Amino acid sequence: MNDSMSIPHLIMNASLIVQLVMLLLLAASIASWIIIFQRSIALRRAEKAYRDFEDRFWSGVDLNELYRDLPAEQESLGAEHVFRSGFREFNRLMPKTQSTDAVLEGVQRGQRVALSREEDRLQLNLTFLATVASASPYIGLFGTVWGIMGSFQSLSMAQQATLSTVAPWIAEALVATAMGLFAAIPAVIFYNRLSAHAGRLLGKYENFAEEFHAILHRNLQGRSEREAS
Amino acid sequence: MAKRERRVGYGWPVLLAIGVHIAALMLTIIKWPESEPDPTSSSVVQATLVRAETATDQPQQTEDSTPPPSQPEEEEDAPEPEESVPSESSDEPEADSDAEVTDSAVEEAKAEARRLQEEAQRAAQQRAEAERQRQEEAEAERQRQEEAEAERQRQQEAEAERQRQQEAEAERQRQEEAEAERQRQEEAEAERQRQEEAEAERQRQEEAEAERQRQEELAERAAQANESSLDSMISDEEQSIANAEQASEAANGFKNLVRRYVEQSWNVPSNASSELRAIVRIQLLPTGELVSATITQSSGDSAFDHSVIKAVEKAAPFREMRELDASVKGQFREFNLDFNPEDIR
Repeated sequence: MNDSMSIPHLIMNASLIVQLVMLLLLAASIASWIIIFQRSIALRRAEKAYRDFEDRFWSGVDLNELYRDLPAEQESLGAEHVFRSGFREFNRLMPKTQSTDAVLEGVQRGQRVALSREEDRLQLNLTFLATVASASPYIGLFGTVWGIMGSFQSLSMAQQATLSTVAPWIAEALVATAMGLFAAIPAVIFYNRLSAHAGRLLGKYENFAEEFHAILHRNLQGRSEREAS
Repeated sequence: MAKRERRVGYGWPVLLAIGVHIAALMLTIIKWPESEPDPTSSSVVQATLVRAETATDQPQQTEDSTPPPSQPEEEEDAPEPEESVPSESSDEPEADSDAEVTDSAVEEAKAEARRLQEEAQRAAQQRAEAERQRQEEAEAERQRQEEAEAERQRQQEAEAERQRQQEAEAERQRQEEAEAERQRQEEAEAERQRQEEAEAERQRQEEAEAERQRQEELAERAAQANESSLDSMISDEEQSIANAEQASEAANGFKNLVRRYVEQSWNVPSNASSELRAIVRIQLLPTGELVSATITQSSGDSAFDHSVIKAVEKAAPFREMRELDASVKGQFREFNLDFNPEDIR
């Protein structure tokens, strides 16, 4: 591999459009890696927070106390958010109505809203990863095709077409495809991984919401029976 | 629940992502220890030079060969066995031994030439080094002078001076551009002329082909007469050594090229054993077209011989011959290729 065929040299000598394509791919690659790191850290933290909260929830603490301990609405995340919105609905409806069904319905609605917000938050930016994963090979391919077109145009000027006159051009053009794949492969892998992780976490939230709903239901059932007796 | 800052910022991810890309870039820049490419010596086909002069030169050389033989005692032994054996085919063994002697001489000459060339290169490098230093010194000196000049002039008429310099600069650039343009045009012109000449040359060669063949026959007869005389033969060899020395560089390159082409297009018969060995004589036109390829030393296996001939025919034409000098070209009008499948298995 002599000096004129090294990859930086090839990139520097490419034509303008190929260079633009490479620049675009580099930007896409950097952006996707930023999202990969950001999402990985965020999801890991969310998982840890969920475990902490679950431990605390099942430790037998009084729910009113727990509700008061938790931070204000805007800051709470994950299962805390689900718990908070459900419990707030519960507290607000309890004095107003005697019907347990109405209360439980309100709680469920509040939890559903919270869950859908959490889902949004967990899958933030993952669509960008999917876009990079599917589009950047094509962008790189475009750069390659353009480069090879240029190489053949200049080849028609040359008298003798030997391998050594074609090879640098084609190597240059292929760098664009290589960069497209370089951007796409991590994006595909991490998109699958991160979306699976987010889905798993969301499932845990939903389970928690059901469990919490069951607790409230039991509570209300007990109360209505007491009132009836 | 001590940690409340659970919203993840983008600072660290940005740094990490850029780090990943820099690492990837480094991987491409670092030169890994390369694996040694296969030495080219493991080539299957050996090319040897049969005759170093052009056929048309030979009659001239017989007249020219006046210098007395420098080592007659050594050379006397060599030709005797050739002449004592009245061989069934008249010129083949002579040609082969001739080729062998020439070959060793060529090897010596090549080594000599390589050494001389290396010395010359080293000397040239040193000279270039000194030259560059001198230029750099001159450059520095000139810069200092220019600075002093600029200083003085700035005191006097800084504005006007700068303007004039700019104008001069623009003028020079225009001149340079005009110069470059003219050179381009000249090059284009020369290119066109060369193409036309090449066209004419090809036509002339085709016309002259019959003529040349007749001349070659004449020359062949003359060469045979020539070789019968010991003195002229030795002087012939000296001449050829001188020729080979001159052209050893270009000849080597072309020889390797031909050998590689032939190797690439050679389908070795499946039953060929490594003991088989065939020598083919190849005659080329100056354009690189194949005139004829004949077996001079058969391997005894007709299929093998056939495959060898096929390989040469498939590899022809050797277009690179056109790029050789006229003097070097003459060497390759006729030469031997040695086929041996030993290294392929």
